[in-house]
Amino acid sequence: MDQVKVLLVDDEERFLKTTARFLEKKGFCVQTAVNGAKALDVLKLMLIHVMVLDVQMPILDGFETLKISKKHHPSVEIIMLTGHATVEAAVEGLKTGVFDYLMKPVDLDDLVLKISAAHLKYQQTQQKKELAQIKNIIKPMKEIMKDMK
Amino acid sequence: MFTNGYKRLQKYILFSMILTPMAIYVLSLGTGYFYFINSLQNTTASTMKRIITDHRQMIESFLAERQGDLSLITDVYTYQELADSEKLPAVFKTLNRKSGAFKDLGIFNQRGVHVNYHGPYDLSGKIYRNESWFKEVMEKGHYISNVYEGFRKVPHFVIAMVKVEKKQKWVIRATIDTYFFNTLVEQVSIGKTGEAYILNSEGRLQTHRRSGGNLMELAVENGESVSFHDGIRIFAQDSADNKTYLTATTWLNDRSWLLVVRQEEADAYQALQSATAIIIVITAIGSLIIILVSVVLSANIVRRMELMDSEKEKLRFQLVRAAGLAELGELATGFAHEINNPLQIIKNEKTLIELNLNEQVDETGTEKTNTMAEVVDSLNQIDLQVERCAKITQAILKFGRVSKFESTSINLLEFIPQITTMVEKRTSVHGIKFIQELPHNLKPIEGDPAQLQQVFLNLINNAIDAVIDKHGASGGSIKLSVSQDDVRKTRVSIADNGVGVSNDNLGKLFTPFFTTKPVGKGTGLGLSVCYGIVNKMGGNLDVSSIPDEGTTFTVSFPATS
Repeated sequence: MDQVKVLLVDDEERFLKTTARFLEKKGFCVQTAVNGAKALDVLKLMLIHVMVLDVQMPILDGFETLKISKKHHPSVEIIMLTGHATVEAAVEGLKTGVFDYLMKPVDLDDLVLKISAAHLKYQQTQQKKELAQIKNIIKPMKEIMKDMK
Repeated sequence: MFTNGYKRLQKYILFSMILTPMAIYVLSLGTGYFYFINSLQNTTASTMKRIITDHRQMIESFLAERQGDLSLITDVYTYQELADSEKLPAVFKTLNRKSGAFKDLGIFNQRGVHVNYHGPYDLSGKIYRNESWFKEVMEKGHYISNVYEGFRKVPHFVIAMVKVEKKQKWVIRATIDTYFFNTLVEQVSIGKTGEAYILNSEGRLQTHRRSGGNLMELAVENGESVSFHDGIRIFAQDSADNKTYLTATTWLNDRSWLLVVRQEEADAYQALQSATAIIIVITAIGSLIIILVSVVLSANIVRRMELMDSEKEKLRFQLVRAAGLAELGELATGFAHEINNPLQIIKNEKTLIELNLNEQVDETGTEKTNTMAEVVDSLNQIDLQVERCAKITQAILKFGRVSKFESTSINLLEFIPQITTMVEKRTSVHGIKFIQELPHNLKPIEGDPAQLQQVFLNLINNAIDAVIDKHGASGGSIKLSVSQDDVRKTRVSIADNGVGVSNDNLGKLFTPFFTTKPVGKGTGLGLSVCYGIVNKMGGNLDVSSIPDEGTTFTVSFPATS
């Protein structure tokens, strides 16, 4: 099975380092970014399955990053993570298609489970897309075969 | 200190309420009393004057008539006829037929010999040449004596006249019945103690005095008043028996008699005494009523003020508490964020240590020693303590804006009147017209009643403040109206005619810590908290305002299913 590619976005460097180390030990492929702008750069450069996004960050905050990434990279599943969970934020997040909303401090084992679940959803979405694409390819082929008959 | 203030205020109100009407009351009564005394004194004096004038006229005309009687006799009869002892009784009879005032009648010749006499005494032949009255009558032609005892040792007074006949002078003399004269003089009716009597120039009583004093007695208290004066004198005088008399005097009979009409002052001014008594009673009752009403009213006023103030204080306290809580919420939110981040890192570190430790044990195959067990125990403790901190931050967050709210179905038709009764007192105290416009039917909305109540109270209280700033104690109005449109979106608007908000401030209205109130009066959190609450319920809080004309806040709730 392919490695799960995770992008961690948080302004706390130590958080990034420890979480990445743990996730890597659990077999994830981890990228990190210290703010939203850097995260968007990473998204442009490589394939990411799941993004763990902090809400309050300098330069580009979680919600802004969320909006932009949903627009340009709609396939990436996003888990919001914050020390400042407000109901408005949760509602806002869920409306924009966030996979889940987690409150700091979160247990890393729980985070692993959430990321795996998000990856599963990512895969399902991808499979649906591929299936649709295959159908799209098969459909004209079937017609051609009909014609050939 | 506050209680003292109210007591001082009550005293001040009480004194003002008592003194002001009391001063007017006493002044008007006093003025009335003064004019009453004046008028009574004038009336009494003029009554006295009228009576003494009438009385003097009566006495003088009586004396003049008697003199006329004698004069008539001397004209009708000759000396010879009158000297006839046979004829004189007939003449006396004729004389007395008219008035009955004469006691006797005597005829004297030029030498003072009593030539003829008709009367109860035997006086014929007595010689009067050296008697003072005889000398005086011979000199003046007529004479009215003081009361004296003379030869008969009985008090009496005489009227005598000289007649010149054939160059010979003779004298006719008559004694006036003192009883008759007394009755005449005494006849006066003023009050209970009114009396009239005559004094001679020595101050001796010429007629009987009702209040005490026989004929010829010296009326000592009048010693002073027998001095001559013109016309009528009216004065107050103390008598020997320590009574004050209102006295009127006038001279008559060629200034030889002083007519005295007098009345005890207490009797004369009896009306005054009853009036004084009535005035005292009225003053006492009136004062009592004023004091009672003032005490009750001032206590009432101050009690109401106290109630109002405590009401105000309570409201202020509630507001401060709400604002304080909101402030705490704001603080807690920031605090939670700041704490939760490091907690996350600690948790991460612990997880990593645990992971590395387990890997090392697996790799080296080292048996789990006691030391290892202690390290694992410590790591578990870190986890436990981090969880504990997390729980604390969660608990603090419950106070803040992020705290959960319990959404239930709210019927605004019941809910809003409950809130308006809470502010009713405050609006009525400040003379604010509070209008409620509620539709007959309304679908319930979803929300947290406690927080929604906070929102409406806050908005109404803001409106009241704005109205008071503009209008003071009257002229303010606040209108609360509820409407629901087709898609069942519910709007509650609170419109006031207060000071309004300037365009510059309108945008900052919901910003935390923004306030136009003086330092210490507002925290600037009320509206931001309201905004947060309404937003949490999925609603919207809007504001529109025209400076100096008023402000309208509209809370709109989403349509409910």
